[in-house]
Amino acid sequence: MSKEIKVTCLEVMSHICDSLGEDLNSERCKDIKQHLEQCPECTNYFKSVEMTIDYYKKYNVDLPKSAHNRLMSFLDLDEDDQT
Amino acid sequence: MDETELIEEAKKGNKKALAEIVKKYEQTIYNFSFKICRDREKAENIMQETFFSMVKSLSQFDGNSKLSTWLYRIVANHCLMQARKEKNRSYISLENDEDLYSERHIADWASLPYKSTENDELRSILDRAIKKLSPDYRIVFLLRDVEGLSTEETADAANISIPAVKSRLHRARAFLRKEIDEAFKK
Repeated sequence: MSKEIKVTCLEVMSHICDSLGEDLNSERCKDIKQHLEQCPECTNYFKSVEMTIDYYKKYNVDLPKSAHNRLMSFLDLDEDDQT
Repeated sequence: MDETELIEEAKKGNKKALAEIVKKYEQTIYNFSFKICRDREKAENIMQETFFSMVKSLSQFDGNSKLSTWLYRIVANHCLMQARKEKNRSYISLENDEDLYSERHIADWASLPYKSTENDELRSILDRAIKKLSPDYRIVFLLRDVEGLSTEETADAANISIPAVKSRLHRARAFLRKEIDEAFKK
């Protein structure tokens, strides 16, 4: 006999974000995980939140050498005058 | 020299030690500033102001938190000040949770063609989405999820309570996901 699902999709969506990177062993999270295993919509939602975070993590910019030089000059830390 | 020794030397006025600290964190601070304001010129200005503040107040750094967390607090503060100067900007309200979770069908992103953040179209979607988010939410999302600070460190750096971090974080995540999802559907 399949276990009773104790949470709804709306509850999963509104609480799932709290579970990302948080304590996954609480009773609430166990119920959410059980729901996730049986709900493709929530699984898609969970994965898309993870992908959103991943996109922003991987979107990086390098500090240009010219900006580094301007910073050191602004702070009066040019390599030539350090003691 | 390790970081603690560098800080002690910098506090005594050793410019070489100070320069080492700046070099260690300049990329992180520039990247973080860019992620908040999505503009290279503003990011450079904020980076300069952040390190200028660090130099001025390094003597007050007591070592109770990590230097990186302390720097994140300074840069977050400068980003919020910069945002307040842009008075004519308006941001989306995230007060109504229902709007964030109202989709009937949740698409499977695994089948999307966007795989790399080197893709200009994807970068443009990410920029447009996060610019709609108020800086108060943006900072929490970036500190906690993107930079990987703990909830406690994020609360410390953003100068807000832990429940406020959690509340802003889940709304910011849901909003960005929804915005990106809508852009993907166009």
